[in-house]
Amino acid sequence: MAGPLAPSRTTDPTVEEVEDLDRPWVTIVWNDPVNLMTYVTHVLRELFGYDEPTATTLMLQVHNDGKAVVSSGPRERMEHDTSRLHAYGLWATYQQDA
Amino acid sequence: MRPFRRKGQDVVARLEPAESGVLGLLLDQLEQLLTADPDDVDGDPVMARLLPAGHRSDPELAADYRGLTETALRSGKTDDLAAVRATLPDGGGEVRLDPEQAGAWLRTTNDLRLALGERIGVTEETEPPEDPVGDEGQQLAVYYWLTALQGSLVDAVAAARDARR
Repeated sequence: MAGPLAPSRTTDPTVEEVEDLDRPWVTIVWNDPVNLMTYVTHVLRELFGYDEPTATTLMLQVHNDGKAVVSSGPRERMEHDTSRLHAYGLWATYQQDA
Repeated sequence: MRPFRRKGQDVVARLEPAESGVLGLLLDQLEQLLTADPDDVDGDPVMARLLPAGHRSDPELAADYRGLTETALRSGKTDDLAAVRATLPDGGGEVRLDPEQAGAWLRTTNDLRLALGERIGVTEETEPPEDPVGDEGQQLAVYYWLTALQGSLVDAVAAARDARR
């Protein structure tokens, strides 16, 4: 039972948790000095079925901005996507979207 | 070397005897790394690049990921390596690859470039050596030879895929 000295809450903690679970996960590819631009584009087409312009845009984002989100969805799928990218030697990580 | 070119659904290249020899040696070294006792290569930056962490800042998540994926990633890489070795002409000659074999060559030549690049310390500013002398110059020359080989393979595989559509 909350007394007068209990900290006040602005949000219901259970609601916050539910929202937290709902936040999607993302897979990120990071820039590195070794992987060829043509190779990164090829891998993104191969693994995610992106068309040439989409894969090229993502590759250029990795190259110019240092990273790009290449897929999003449930945690398990992002784990899977990350490991598929690692099998091709791309530098990938997954995380809950900020 | 005659770089990779598409021939129908296959991709074809030709390697000089010395090139086949160098590639064979690199495959041996990569295999030693991949099959080493994980404790012996723990902290090796090359291993950290071949089997990277799945998460940048959350050690628990990274450990979960490693537990889930490392065995399969290691065996996938050693399977690829075996497929490359099986199609590498001893003493040089023609390399002819179907799409599946070409995939193994793409991934393995990339792993070799990652490993070599990490050892030499390749950055965005690194350039091909004009006159490769000394160990470092030689390694850099091999790195750029692998880059040319893999670059031609990517283009040939992409051309074969586009021809299928």
